[in-house]
Amino acid sequence: MLCDHLYRETGIAFGEGKEYYVTRRLTERMLATENVDFAAYFAHLTTQGSAERQHFINAFTVNETYFYREDYQLRCLTGDLLANCVAAKPPGAPLRIWSLPCSTGEEPYSIAIWMLENWPLVDNYNIEIIGSDIDTAVLEAARGGVYGKRALMRLDSRLVAKYFEQPDAENWRVIGDLRDSVLFAPVNALETLEMRRFGRFDVIFCRNMLIYFDEVSRRIAAENLYEALLPGGYLCLGHAESMSRISGIFEVCRYADAIVYRRPPEPGHG
Amino acid sequence: MDSVPLRIMIIDDASLVRLYYRDILERAGFAVEEALNGVEALEKLLVQPAALLIVDVNMPKMDGLTFLRTLRQQALPLAGIPALVTSTEAGPQDRLAARAAGANYYLMKPVPPDRLLGHVHLLCGAA
Repeated sequence: MLCDHLYRETGIAFGEGKEYYVTRRLTERMLATENVDFAAYFAHLTTQGSAERQHFINAFTVNETYFYREDYQLRCLTGDLLANCVAAKPPGAPLRIWSLPCSTGEEPYSIAIWMLENWPLVDNYNIEIIGSDIDTAVLEAARGGVYGKRALMRLDSRLVAKYFEQPDAENWRVIGDLRDSVLFAPVNALETLEMRRFGRFDVIFCRNMLIYFDEVSRRIAAENLYEALLPGGYLCLGHAESMSRISGIFEVCRYADAIVYRRPPEPGHG
Repeated sequence: MDSVPLRIMIIDDASLVRLYYRDILERAGFAVEEALNGVEALEKLLVQPAALLIVDVNMPKMDGLTFLRTLRQQALPLAGIPALVTSTEAGPQDRLAARAAGANYYLMKPVPPDRLLGHVHLLCGAA
């Protein structure tokens, strides 16, 4: 029953072998809401307008990541993708990048840092980087931009000194200008109308989200991602993921640094 | 360069652009101040003038050209601060409008580091 509910709310299918994970998260929420038995908690959860709904989603979607994870894709971004994206854009035009799911913000901030360090046209376009996640608690953390040592392990000391300030011995905070360069907003990748509100993007990073979905949800998410791309726009998945097994609507593009997926350009456009 | 670094103000609403120019200027030994629009720039300059301004054109609240016209009407030394306008607008009318508003030079974006520093040094007299 709980797994059915989780699936309906998040699209994530918790099958066999996930009992420990589900039980642990559920116990946390039952303790937090002072519900001693499952039936009482479930009634509380499914009451109309219950604030527990979001807490429940948050508890089951927490993810851990770090800066410059899968950096071959960032190399691909500045090495190949952006040149194609801006080929037909006039100077000053919007260049939109979506990091989804962005968890606690490491990925969208990494994109911003990587572009500043590796792309000489940052002042020539109106760059918008948006980080989204279904989990509103991680988005709040992302806006705060405070990280522990582990999240920074792939950044060299020069980048850490340049883009972070250190409020105390254990934490590093992304500097204000960099925090301002990323907009964080919640979205459920399975909700078509919610996805449409964000408009269309040149590049979407959607790493390690589809692997949690079952086949039906995967296809819905793939179609929503396709619709969220400008014609000619790119989708970057995690290294273990393949769109070809989910949907045939994307073109497969092989670049020196990565394989990415593309919404085909409209006829007559690059 | 003098032991006290020259102070340059970047006036641009795009935080990534401010970060990009700031890095170029700080590496070259300048001290950098930032403002997100013309109103904030005027407020900060009234407290402490700068040696040079790098001014974007399209900004909310007060755009770059309105800012320059307002600045040039202030008393010295504020009115005399050299200003380098950077913009993605390429038309000759855009350059003329910037000059008329009080820009000392107009640089088309994208501005590579050596080009930015070359003009900064010229306008600051710090070559």
